Amino acid sequence: MPDKSDVLLGCAPITERPGIDRAMRMAIQGARRVPRKAATFSHQQAFDAALAKVVRAIPVDEQIAEWFVNENLIPVARSGWKKIVRNPVVIAIAAAALVIGGIVAYRVNEHLHDFPGADKARRLLAVGASNRSVLLDPLQTEAGALSDLFFLKHRLEHYDIPAEFAAFKTLGARVFDDDEVRRVAQIWINEKRMQFFLFPAEPNKKGQIEDFPDWRFVELEGWTGVVTQRNGICFMAMLRGTEKDLRPFLEKKKE
Amino acid sequence: MAVTTKNLPQLYRFCFLMTGDAAKAKQAFQDTVREAATQSAADEPPPDRLWFFREARWRCVNLGEQGIQAEPGMLEEADISPTASSQIQQLDPEQLAVWVSAAPEPQRSALALYYLDEFTLAELLSLLEMKAPELSELICSGRRQFQAWLDSTFAYYGGEPLDAG
Repeated sequence: MPDKSDVLLGCAPITERPGIDRAMRMAIQGARRVPRKAATFSHQQAFDAALAKVVRAIPVDEQIAEWFVNENLIPVARSGWKKIVRNPVVIAIAAAALVIGGIVAYRVNEHLHDFPGADKARRLLAVGASNRSVLLDPLQTEAGALSDLFFLKHRLEHYDIPAEFAAFKTLGARVFDDDEVRRVAQIWINEKRMQFFLFPAEPNKKGQIEDFPDWRFVELEGWTGVVTQRNGICFMAMLRGTEKDLRPFLEKKKE
Repeated sequence: MAVTTKNLPQLYRFCFLMTGDAAKAKQAFQDTVREAATQSAADEPPPDRLWFFREARWRCVNLGEQGIQAEPGMLEEADISPTASSQIQQLDPEQLAVWVSAAPEPQRSALALYYLDEFTLAELLSLLEMKAPELSELICSGRRQFQAWLDSTFAYYGGEPLDAG
């Protein structure tokens, strides 16, 4: 059974023009390196070239030759832009490009306002979204009062609830260790089934922890969190909804 | 690639190799070009270069079916001779066309398209709707059969130039 190079040599181009594919080029070069193959291939090429020359010498009927003079014999239909736009393949590609562009723009916009610790915050959004309040130790008090509990019971310094959310009534709380976020305090709030998280801040690219007293939003699959960072500890309030649902709680403090 | 009238002589030569007869070649050629013109006028996608040869091929095959049919595997074969090119130089194009047109399909189409020296391997495979090993086999056996025909013909004429008539 002939191997691949023999197959290719059997139908090797009679005139070697630029653009011959690599496999064919390799087969021809390989044949020219082996003396026995080189002689056979050389005979084949001379044979083919001689036959091609005879083919080129086929006289063209005089009546037929007149057809060649008329350049407009075959009108070349111009494919206008309307036809191109209506092509289903073009429509499919354009739709796919739009979707991909939209996703990329969304992701870029999402990460444009990111801060060190945004990934941790999103991870905790996922934790909060999958938890039920029964997991927490029942604790009915004002959220602001839990700072002392975290310090006295768990030795967690600066796990303070910002004034904007200090007055909310709690349902329960817990402290747990997360592989990525480390020591996390989670508080379940009565109002709007909100949850608070307190967790260590993430250093920036220079390895420094830079607090930010303003509020920054993170979103994940229908859940929204608002984060502030003070004394190296991040506080996040989260609920099911959008930024619009969380903003009123931040405005209340300003008033 | 768009087709201009510059490609048409090769199309005619192809028809001639396929039919071995000037009148039939002319008919297949004219019908193909008319069909292309009709398509363009009807605002259909412009026929490309391969379309012309594909269309002409089937027209030639249909015309060829009206005559005596060749049977595959009936011809003798011989190794390609180092002197084959000088033998071929003495041939008339009509003799070559008669020999090619007598080959069975798809060998006839494979040889006609290959010796036009017009197409890449990928284009040949697309036109003939076959894989490389099959095309290679058809061309290799075609060479060997043609060499056997050359040998017998030159032996008969004693190496004298041949007369197509």
